Amino acid sequence: MSAQATEAKQESTVLPENLGDPSWAWAPYRPDADRPWGLQLAGHLYRRAAFGANWKELQQALADGPQVTVGKLLRPSADVAGFNQAYGGYEEAGVDSAGGLPAWWLRRLLETPHPLLEQMTLFWHNHFAITNARVNNPALMCRYVQLLRRQALGRFPALLEAVVGEPAVLLCLGARANRKARPNLDFPRALLEQFTLGPGQFSEEDVQAAGRALTGWFVSQNELNYIGREHDSGAKKLLGQQGDFGRKDVARILLEQPATAQFLVRKLYRWFISETIPPPDSLIAPLAADFARDFEVARLMETMLRSNLFFSAYRQKIKSPVEFAVGLVRPLEGMVGTVRLASDLAALGQGLLQPPTIKGWAGGRGWINRFTLLGRAKLAEDLLAGSGPYEGRLDPAATALKYGHSTAETGSQFLCELFFQGDLPEASRQALLKSASVSGAGTADDLSGNAGPAVPIPNRESSPPKSSGTLASAATAPGLWFQSEVQRPGSLSDYLRHLAVLMAALPEWHLA
Amino acid sequence: MQTTRRDFLRTALGASTGLALSPAVPGFLSRRALAAAVPPEGRNSVLVVLQLSGGNDGLNTVVPYEDDAYHRNRPTLRLRAERVHKLDSGLGLHPEMPAFLRLYREGHLAIIQGVGYPNSKRDHEAAMSDWHTARPQETLTQTGWLGRAIDRACLAGQTDVPGVFVGPIPAPFGLQTEQAVVPAIKSLDEWLPAEEWPVAPMLEPAGSGAGVSPAGGPGSGAGVSPATRASRPRTVPFKTPVRGAETVEAFPAGASNPLPDFLRRTTLEAAAGKARLEAARRAAAATGAAEYPGFPLAQTLKSVAQLIRAELGIRVYFAELGGGGIGGFDTHADQAANHGALLRELSESVAAFLGDLRRDRWLDSVWLMTFSEFGRTLSENGRRGTGHGAAAPVFLAGGRLKGGLVGPHPSLSDLDADAPKFHTDFRRVYATVLDRWLGFDSQAVLGEKFAPLEGVIA
Repeated sequence: MSAQATEAKQESTVLPENLGDPSWAWAPYRPDADRPWGLQLAGHLYRRAAFGANWKELQQALADGPQVTVGKLLRPSADVAGFNQAYGGYEEAGVDSAGGLPAWWLRRLLETPHPLLEQMTLFWHNHFAITNARVNNPALMCRYVQLLRRQALGRFPALLEAVVGEPAVLLCLGARANRKARPNLDFPRALLEQFTLGPGQFSEEDVQAAGRALTGWFVSQNELNYIGREHDSGAKKLLGQQGDFGRKDVARILLEQPATAQFLVRKLYRWFISETIPPPDSLIAPLAADFARDFEVARLMETMLRSNLFFSAYRQKIKSPVEFAVGLVRPLEGMVGTVRLASDLAALGQGLLQPPTIKGWAGGRGWINRFTLLGRAKLAEDLLAGSGPYEGRLDPAATALKYGHSTAETGSQFLCELFFQGDLPEASRQALLKSASVSGAGTADDLSGNAGPAVPIPNRESSPPKSSGTLASAATAPGLWFQSEVQRPGSLSDYLRHLAVLMAALPEWHLA
Repeated sequence: MQTTRRDFLRTALGASTGLALSPAVPGFLSRRALAAAVPPEGRNSVLVVLQLSGGNDGLNTVVPYEDDAYHRNRPTLRLRAERVHKLDSGLGLHPEMPAFLRLYREGHLAIIQGVGYPNSKRDHEAAMSDWHTARPQETLTQTGWLGRAIDRACLAGQTDVPGVFVGPIPAPFGLQTEQAVVPAIKSLDEWLPAEEWPVAPMLEPAGSGAGVSPAGGPGSGAGVSPATRASRPRTVPFKTPVRGAETVEAFPAGASNPLPDFLRRTTLEAAAGKARLEAARRAAAATGAAEYPGFPLAQTLKSVAQLIRAELGIRVYFAELGGGGIGGFDTHADQAANHGALLRELSESVAAFLGDLRRDRWLDSVWLMTFSEFGRTLSENGRRGTGHGAAAPVFLAGGRLKGGLVGPHPSLSDLDADAPKFHTDFRRVYATVLDRWLGFDSQAVLGEKFAPLEGVIA
């Protein structure tokens, strides 16, 4: 049997077991003895909702429990408005600078006190996936992203209305002019197929009717204008309804279709919960029905993030390039130059403001091939190097020291807990230590001959690594894989940089 | 069925069994992973697409030196009979292209004449876009012709992305995909990670999302049958800390999760590919047999040759000459020297590339195809340059092809607004390389059926 066939069989066998019971799936996760709350699930929540957690956030989440933590991610106590206002100003001023808006957006991702809002903004950018390659107007793209962010956790109808009236969106879809005599069809097709109903939920006649309803709207001098005489005021038949519809009617009718809420819930499911198996309709239906009441995105997200299903979808998603890189920097509480980062991420397939088509990024397995894995490894190497394009600003040893880990032993334990919450296959753990000690700054005297079981990185106890690792205790520990010389100032930094690069090349690091 | 370690490796590497352990190979790779460094039997055909940016002057590339109209209309730019490298039918190659004459005589160069398309455009962006999308009649095409071919190959289950751009400019739109991420390689030196990877543990088939081997040691990770997993109660994942090698129960939900295995497999492929590429680079440096001139294009093609030899599953390479954008072939003024220099870079680089590939019979697996967004006007413009035109020749260079002239030279008495008219639609050339050379379905890629050219493949 081929590997693919095996895979398909496993998927179909397992499907009903985990996804068959919506009331369990969407009920809030309550830790108990079988399903305890620990570092790994805290890491899971932060990877999905916040591009990864730093050590303080992990510890706070352990103390708070899952439900309180979700609440804080949705409604952080920090001054989000102030932060966003400041960055809005930077972005408007910086749209034409080197790196432009993508670089500013990445910087925002690294620094924001409300990462879930940025994750949602990114989701909407992928949903309303216009590209500056066509719009070719950074200032308009800036306005478009800001409107996505304003409504990212708000109500979908307001977001949709704003997007449909946003000049950048019309320009990208070739709808600069929507004349009565020649209605544009690309814009209404995207509106129905990508923005609301989803593929297969409408006919070609619906596209034409929507196109006629959108006539009269023109983009001139980067503003949207209505020219009444260019509006086709004849009767149109759209999705079973009839009338002299205009732009607002189209939005209303699209929102009335159950397909719209279902399409959005499915997309959010794939973005936040799992990319492994398409969820059955029975699982989506209750959430979609509740969402369709008022289309409040924050409530939908709250249900999803609090759910049993969310907390059982561990490592069922592949990190996007942005999640890969930001997920390396945020846990280390560092900062890197984002002009270079924006272009490196574009090379890995995720140029911000340049999604490949109106369908957005394919995502999931599409991110991964042997070349992008080499590219990701190279990016991690550059980000973590002591010098080079990123100027060595990211320093795992500084983070380790901040939490009291000043030796190679406890420093490595700390990194393993921080990045993987300790959850690595034993074999990977061993290989990491060997490679790091053989080719890293630390050298091992007797690695090859040492088959001893003890390894300084602990298995994933939820207790944080001890900060009391000293030279004496390390030197007497069995299975020593570093020498005391790595404790010279500077060497610890090199050693942990090297270890972090190796960690970022592990298969597990690409899983969110 | 239980996947054995051997099966897994076979799947992951398509591995041949022979081991050739070179002392230069990184020590972190297991012996089995090294097996992948041995080229498998049977090579796939490879296409190199070379874009000449700016609109190459076909009339001064393949010169109709016996045609009075040519000489009349080009008082300063014309190339006289005694200077061109004579082919036949009154045609000769530009004086700076002796290397192409050699390829032509050896049967490694085909010249497809009069290539263009109906209502062809004469501004750079629109015309280049037409060549990239291969859908001149549509306004909102979001993918390139090669991008569509790549997406189709990936959807068909190919795990290697079969296309790549090599060169210093951003990847051209022709490679634009909807799904696959196509690599753009500025230079191999910058592109490869230096780090050696601890891949050995990834050779273990992962049992589940947890990826920890159950008791029984390495290799038995797939020991829990799907049925057993499925019958477990649903639980939120958790892990019990365990010591040493005896581990696990962890993620019942993870039993349905194919992603960890997928990532292990691809990481392994990446590491094996990296090792093969490094080996190819070392071999190239060690033999010194392949002499490439110093031109940037030659260096790009040298990288392409190394990538080809590494057998990374790449079927389509895209490279560029002229600098992208409105490139160097846009010779509105003082054309002679600039154009000659570009043609020398083109011909000598391609000849060196073919010579390199010939050493170990790789030439039989490779075709290189040039294209430019348009040709140029017959008449000189008063500034010793030429304007934007229409049809122009396309070069095909490589091993198993039938060299020579394909189709007649366009007439100089029946012109399309002062430029040679096309008689061969460029999508027929695309169909030829897709159907006949790569074995891709050209109709699916191009959206309609174009007849491949006859008599090009040997």
